[in-house]
Amino acid sequence: MFELFTEGFAMAMRFDTMALMSIGLFSGMLVGSLPGFTTLMAMAILLPISFFLEPIVGIPFLLGIYKGGIFGGSVPAILISMPGTGAAVATSRDGYKLTQQGKSRKALDIALFSSVFGDTASDIFTILMMFPIAFLVMQFGPPELFAVLLMSLIIIAATSGANPLKSLIMMMLGLWLSFIGTDPLGGVERFTFGLFELKSGIPLLPMLIGVFALPEVANVIIRNEKSRKLAALVGERLTRAEFSRCLPTICRSTVIGTGIGIVPGLGQIVAAMMGYTAAKNASKHPETFGEGEIEGVAAAEAANNAVNGPTMVPLLTLGIPGDNVTAILLGAFVAQGLRPGPQLFEEQGATVFAILVAMVIANLLFLVIGYLSIPFFSKIVTIKTSILIPLVIMFAFAGTYVFRSDPTDLLILVAFGVFGIIAKAAKFDVMPMVMGFILGPSMEYAFGQTAAMSNGNPLGFFLTERFGALGVLIAAPIIGYLLWKRLYGRSANT
Amino acid sequence: MLRNFAKKSVAVAALAGASVVASMSPALAEYPEKPITMVIPLGAGGSHDLNARVITSIIPTYLEQAMIVRLTPGAGGQKGTQEVANAPADGYTLLFTHNYIDQLQQHVENLPYDPLEDFVTVARVNYAPIAVTVRADSPYQTFEDLVEASKADPGGVQMAHSGNWGALFVPAAQMMQALDMSWNLVPYQGGGPALQALLSGDADVTMGFPSSLASHLEAGTVRILATAGPERIYDDVPTFAEVGVEGDVGFMHRVVLAPAGTPDDVLEMLGDAFAQLGEDTTFNRMMGRLGENIDIIGSDEYDAMRSDQSGAYEVLVQELTSQ
Repeated sequence: MFELFTEGFAMAMRFDTMALMSIGLFSGMLVGSLPGFTTLMAMAILLPISFFLEPIVGIPFLLGIYKGGIFGGSVPAILISMPGTGAAVATSRDGYKLTQQGKSRKALDIALFSSVFGDTASDIFTILMMFPIAFLVMQFGPPELFAVLLMSLIIIAATSGANPLKSLIMMMLGLWLSFIGTDPLGGVERFTFGLFELKSGIPLLPMLIGVFALPEVANVIIRNEKSRKLAALVGERLTRAEFSRCLPTICRSTVIGTGIGIVPGLGQIVAAMMGYTAAKNASKHPETFGEGEIEGVAAAEAANNAVNGPTMVPLLTLGIPGDNVTAILLGAFVAQGLRPGPQLFEEQGATVFAILVAMVIANLLFLVIGYLSIPFFSKIVTIKTSILIPLVIMFAFAGTYVFRSDPTDLLILVAFGVFGIIAKAAKFDVMPMVMGFILGPSMEYAFGQTAAMSNGNPLGFFLTERFGALGVLIAAPIIGYLLWKRLYGRSANT
Repeated sequence: MLRNFAKKSVAVAALAGASVVASMSPALAEYPEKPITMVIPLGAGGSHDLNARVITSIIPTYLEQAMIVRLTPGAGGQKGTQEVANAPADGYTLLFTHNYIDQLQQHVENLPYDPLEDFVTVARVNYAPIAVTVRADSPYQTFEDLVEASKADPGGVQMAHSGNWGALFVPAAQMMQALDMSWNLVPYQGGGPALQALLSGDADVTMGFPSSLASHLEAGTVRILATAGPERIYDDVPTFAEVGVEGDVGFMHRVVLAPAGTPDDVLEMLGDAFAQLGEDTTFNRMMGRLGENIDIIGSDEYDAMRSDQSGAYEVLVQELTSQ
């Protein structure tokens, strides 16, 4: 094992590997920062290039695009409150507030450092614990996934505001919106009113841009802040003291993110939200979260990147891709004659370790590339408001349209924009709605699977066969209540 | 290798450049005068996506035009299919789909298009035969053991599939029908998660394509009980025909369709390009690496297969939903 590792390490130390990985990282970051373009698209389009490269060059190239893209997604989230993916939603909460306070450079810096730290730590953990993780992955079936998703939703509702009723109402709305379209199990149409456009459901991207970016734009326009720019200052870079202050948060989020990465089907969105919630709960001043707290950005970014290591495990050890990104990687592996699965480590151990080592090196390279790019990105906010606002609006509409070239999406964007403005005025937080909308379908699917597995008797199934899931289901409301009480209980009583 | 790639990319770039020039010239030029779009009604990273990336990186050699992949997932494949049905029948918008989306869905729900009326075949690219799979430590040593257990305890055997009316569900349903037995069909979000459910013990049986099972077979973690088609894929594993499941059962055909009304000369040109693609050595090598076969079937032959499929699926759906 150790010999394979050192052999792999030597294989990864190549100039062309580093060079292509850097190109991948940079292009991934660019693509990820453009709303409407996803890392997934970039990977799929560039996949054939990797077919013509050696495995130890081609696969790190794709990994570079992936890793660069995740950070790229947090750039518009922080600068113009436009999260392009669900994973960046938690980041935009404090990140955009920091931009408004003229600290966008600090926000981007901490996002970069936390991402790199979370990713590196989880990659190393994954390399060392590959087979124990592979065993753990197998312990999670649909009933466990359902229980963990339900717990996540309860925790989000309980911790996103002083009034849990408001949060719950919004979350229910989000869950209902996720029902629109074709039912994922039975294929029955729900709430589509016979419109074909609604048959595939409401797309996520127009909703995200609508409820997060458009209200901010409206805010600037309504207040007619001609004299004040959206954020006049780029601000200073992150100081060492600030980084040290965030370090415990980053470590906590890394552990949470890695843990969530082990559960198949949860992913970056849940990790970011749970990392954020845990940081808020552990903080001595939870009231600063949501008001421009750099720890908030650190918590979300470290957690969503820490997911990446463990998600590679089912791919490498079983040949089973857990999501679309790993599905593309599977294609790249197979096309290179590396067939992921139980035999991979025996047959191609050194090459696999070389690729894993390259993953870690990619993080370090990205630290440099990201650090040098941030000044250019953060300049965006110094553009005059009279130009920036039209640009943001253009990005919102163009990004929505380019996503799948469907004009209906533009209507959905505007509808959610209006909804977001009203919700903001009425002091309803849209976060629980978005989370309900994103996690609802997975939870519904997992529940449907559980019902099918148990021949229509899920309750009895939980009680007699799935004790792990049962434990989570019982603990969920208790944890939710305790978190709410700790964060808001005192202020609600006084 | 790198040089080969450089050559290819220069060729592609030159083609792209030429196509820009061509698209600006008057519309009288010969087909294809601009890049062709191939719509996939499925998501990124699936087997259709991977196959299409390989096809589109090589077919420009024969069409002298670029071919662009557009992913339009949604509504179980209906969104992308409708997009192509509504596109002009000029050969510049094609659909890359499979037989279950193409021919089965019309019998399950009302579609905004008619598959047989609105589409014609350009070419079938390849097919994947399904294999009935159990864990290596499963009590079912042979397909007969499985059938016997399923008959003894109807609904007691858990079968993991990749979604209702999908590539694993349909052969399972056809098998249940042919052999008069019953499984508890549990959906998973794709063939990968279904296989994982089998390995973790949540499911007793699943189906899979040989390309994705190869590594597990080598490692000895799964056992294959039967494979689709009239010819044996593994020497010691019976075929569906041998165990009493006859007909076009358990094949996923990857097929390129065009909107009905596409001019014959255009169809012919596209068909020729795909036929030549099938002979291309680079294409064969790359598809081989993906673990996919290549078996190009032309327009007329596959159109006949499509109407047969439609009839068989209609009977299947009627019998399953009438219970």
